[in-house]
Amino acid sequence: MSEIKLNLKGMQCPGPIMEVFKASKKAESGDVIVATVSDRGFEKDIQAWAKKTGNEILDMDVTETEITAKIKMK
Amino acid sequence: MKKEKILVIGGVAAGTKTAAKIMRENPAAEAVIVTRDEHISYAGCGLPYYIGGVIEEERELVVKTPEEFTLATGVDVFVKHEAKTVDMDKKEALVVNNETGEEKVFPFDKLVFATGAAPFVPPIKGVELENVYSLRRVTDALNIRKLVDDGEINDAVVIGGGFIGLEVAENLKERGINVSIIELIPHILPPFDEEMALLAQRHMVEKGVDIFGAERAQAIEGETKVTGVKTDRRILKADLVIVSVGVRPSVALAKSIGVEIGETGAIKVNDMMETNLKDVYAVGDCAETTNLITGKTAWYPMGSTANKMGRIAGINIGAENEKDSLSGVLGTTVVKLFGVNAARTGLSERDAVKLGYEVESVIVPANDRAHYFPGYRSIVTKLVAEKETGRLLGAQIVGEGVVDKPIDIMATAITFGAKVDDLEKLDLAYAPPFSSAMASTIVSANVLRNIYKGKLKTINPRILKERLGEVLVLDVRDEASHFIRSIPGSVNIYSAEIEMEADKLDKKKETVVVCKVGKEAYLTSLKLKAMGFEDVKILEGGMEAYPYETE
Repeated sequence: MSEIKLNLKGMQCPGPIMEVFKASKKAESGDVIVATVSDRGFEKDIQAWAKKTGNEILDMDVTETEITAKIKMK
Repeated sequence: MKKEKILVIGGVAAGTKTAAKIMRENPAAEAVIVTRDEHISYAGCGLPYYIGGVIEEERELVVKTPEEFTLATGVDVFVKHEAKTVDMDKKEALVVNNETGEEKVFPFDKLVFATGAAPFVPPIKGVELENVYSLRRVTDALNIRKLVDDGEINDAVVIGGGFIGLEVAENLKERGINVSIIELIPHILPPFDEEMALLAQRHMVEKGVDIFGAERAQAIEGETKVTGVKTDRRILKADLVIVSVGVRPSVALAKSIGVEIGETGAIKVNDMMETNLKDVYAVGDCAETTNLITGKTAWYPMGSTANKMGRIAGINIGAENEKDSLSGVLGTTVVKLFGVNAARTGLSERDAVKLGYEVESVIVPANDRAHYFPGYRSIVTKLVAEKETGRLLGAQIVGEGVVDKPIDIMATAITFGAKVDDLEKLDLAYAPPFSSAMASTIVSANVLRNIYKGKLKTINPRILKERLGEVLVLDVRDEASHFIRSIPGSVNIYSAEIEMEADKLDKKKETVVVCKVGKEAYLTSLKLKAMGFEDVKILEGGMEAYPYETE
């Protein structure tokens, strides 16, 4: 199990969710993806994505300017 | 200076404004306010925020106490005093002190009705039960806040999805109460077009407010205290009910002395706030105004309009050699709902069509600031213009970003008769913390101009939803975005692969191209046309502004 850090700040939608999508395909079960994003659309996108894929959002930190999501691969 | 006596009946926004302005213009005048209420000059629009605790203290709601007001303006104020009858021959009013029952006669040279509007309470069973409120007066807010503070409320039902109802819903929800809203029409925010209102509605639902559109409250249930609300579809548990289905102008006294009532039900006035009776004026929520676009009489019970009317009546009554007039208003409004803002001005598409206008409209998402500047947020703009002339008729803006600035730009532009191409060329302030180099206002005008020039064909999300089975919905976003949220039945081909993949589609079929906000769809539609597709449209506002069911 490893932690995959993705710095996706400055990337516009759909860039961040595409990167998470790509990373998730390479990741193994139990891996945790930590994505830091500045695009506001990401908050809803990642929640919908996790719900549909069954991957688990361990933590979501939303500040005025950044969103950091920790997602555990199923 | 005329030593005139002016009697103003009603003392919230318009009444106090009128009386104060009269005294400023003519210190020799004697202006008197009588009001049934125990407060004057209160922040009626602030009441929902007092319930929520955003405004903490009762005294913050009251702009001025009667004593302060008298000291500042020279206007005599009689609170808890109700004008019962008016004798226009003798020019005097009979006023009753509601606390003591004492009657007094107030002579006047000029009379001003500022009697406001009262909540309309629908004739349904149970409206008299305990813990059923409408929110208009300070005392309503005090009572509701106390119930909430005392922990007596778990479930609240708000009947009516207009501005006040929604603000109350937000504030109750923020206090940890379960909140449901019942609205008779299919969506909240009745003055907005459906697809725009639903964007705000979706956001409120995400925040945990239950919204039941196209549903009618039939009865309020309970023995002495309310326990629930019965609608035509369900029973909702409730220990607090807010009835907020709109207000009606309070015109009974004016009517009784022969003041003409207009078709809206409010007092008919000319642009100088004069009624049909000599020396009798009407201002604020009890009076009609004119819609600037249609030139027809309209009724907008808004604090912003009330204050303007008060100032104008004050000048016309008090000033010696000056007259002023109000040619009309646009019904500009703005509301904040859990961090989503919604604003409108002028005519909605629905109202414009109903009034017989042929219109072009467009929906365009954009950011409120430079997209690379931290803290930017998105907003969705809808523009409505007259088809033949290009004259702007109305605008609606919904989103987490700044909406009041662009809507004020639109209101200003419409007031001065702007056309879509005027809007396009406005020189607006720009630096990254404030706006984009191409401001949302200008981009939306650009897109609408492209439609006028025939450069693209678009389809409104409301129309697409109705025609889903008939058209091919081609989603050109990436696979991940399509996977997360897409229109039912849509086909996904990523825009970068369109030339390779689109040949397998039926080129004769009406095709609606969908992307995130509309731009990629526009670019793709050009490629599709070049490939021989015969009927290509793009979805206005893309998925960002599509408020209907998705998968």
